[in-house]
Amino acid sequence: MYYPGPIERLIENLTKLPGIGRKTATRLTFFLLNSKGFYISELSESLLDVKEKIKLCSVCFNITDVDPCVICTDPRRDRSIICVVEESSHMMVVESANPGHYKYHILHGVINPIEGIGPDDVRIKELHERIIREEIKEVIIATNPNIEGNTTAHYISEILKSLDVRITRIASGIPVGGDIVYIDPLTIKSSIDNRKNL
Amino acid sequence: MALHKDEAIVLFKRAYGESDKIIRLFTLKSGKIAAIAKGGSKSQKRFMNTLEPFNHINVEYFEKQEKGMVRLENADIVETNCGIETSLKKACTAGFFTELVDRLTKERERHDELFQILKEVLQQVKRTELTYMEILYYHLKILETLGFMPNFTDCVYCGNKMDEEDKVYFSSQRGGILCASCSSSLPHKTYQAGVIEKVLSFRKQGREIEDPKTYRFFEREVQDIMEGFMSYHLDVEFKSYRLLKNFVLK
Ligand SMILES: [Zn+2]
Ligand SMILES: [Zn+2]
Repeated sequence: MYYPGPIERLIENLTKLPGIGRKTATRLTFFLLNSKGFYISELSESLLDVKEKIKLCSVCFNITDVDPCVICTDPRRDRSIICVVEESSHMMVVESANPGHYKYHILHGVINPIEGIGPDDVRIKELHERIIREEIKEVIIATNPNIEGNTTAHYISEILKSLDVRITRIASGIPVGGDIVYIDPLTIKSSIDNRKNL
Repeated sequence: MALHKDEAIVLFKRAYGESDKIIRLFTLKSGKIAAIAKGGSKSQKRFMNTLEPFNHINVEYFEKQEKGMVRLENADIVETNCGIETSLKKACTAGFFTELVDRLTKERERHDELFQILKEVLQQVKRTELTYMEILYYHLKILETLGFMPNFTDCVYCGNKMDEEDKVYFSSQRGGILCASCSSSLPHKTYQAGVIEKVLSFRKQGREIEDPKTYRFFEREVQDIMEGFMSYHLDVEFKSYRLLKNFVLK
């Protein structure tokens, strides 16, 4: 079935979104076509805004519409602690679990030799400079506990060795409220290796 | 659909959607296979974290009729990659060897010897940062096992046996050395006498210690030979090599 050109074009463009097939795209297109009032102009403006106004914070590399971002300029945060994460979305997760405590540094990736991603391809050099410039006392490395995240964590701690800064790594083990019976052996081992005194 | 049991080394993983993983395995019985692991259900979440590059695992998977991607049903650890993450050099070296195996093998070609070499080299890397000589040793061993070894013994074009001191012309395109007369008509690079022979002797004997100056010279020359050869014969971009070069070989 063929629709008029402009409709086809919109369907086509919506199909490029993740999880949207042609059927859903067609349904969305007709919804938009029949929508009333300012909705369409509001929607298209907000799409353009995202592209035009969102940039990376020049300090922490978080996505932001003001530079430096609101987190970097928040006076209530502990200015001596930086939490290092892989992506902005990871930062949101850490922040919402523990709001308003420290500053962040977003690496925008992790070291992954198989994919050809080395330390210079993520924001590690900038982290190093920041730690010196801002006189940071603690760096919490919150990259994922997999081979890439662990390699990145070790590399960061290696290059920060000469500085007077405490380097910590997030723990990995049994989830809060979890049942030990259903936990995989690697996680059990990690939780035993990283046990703490009571 | 049949359930297969095998052991494997994880060559590559990529997250797929929220909870799934696409991986490539080098298995003992079936060579390289691509697999999908669905992490959605509770029982399968238990093995998802064993599917990390450089891990040696036992796997169970379902083969579909079309012999495409297999569906991983279960996995458990034989030996983890633990230790490789402790240094960038180690991670780059391990990445280089897994990518080498990934790129040079075809799917579903069993290769017992290669499996053993890969297993061994990863165990070595876990223990210590390999030197260029050690990396070269395994690199040549893998090429030889797969039949991709450059010809360092006789002229690759006319087949003439060659003396040690005459081995100075190397052709990346032809994948081997050239005699003087063949070198006049074929593209090649000239190396100092002794360098090419050294690669051979090295391959037979493994590591040898010598005066650091000669060593550095030899290392650079051999690196150049291998690089030319690899870049000519691997039409795809070899992603981990740039890192290996920057952080390990220098
Ligand atoms: Zn910021
Ligand atoms: Zn010849």
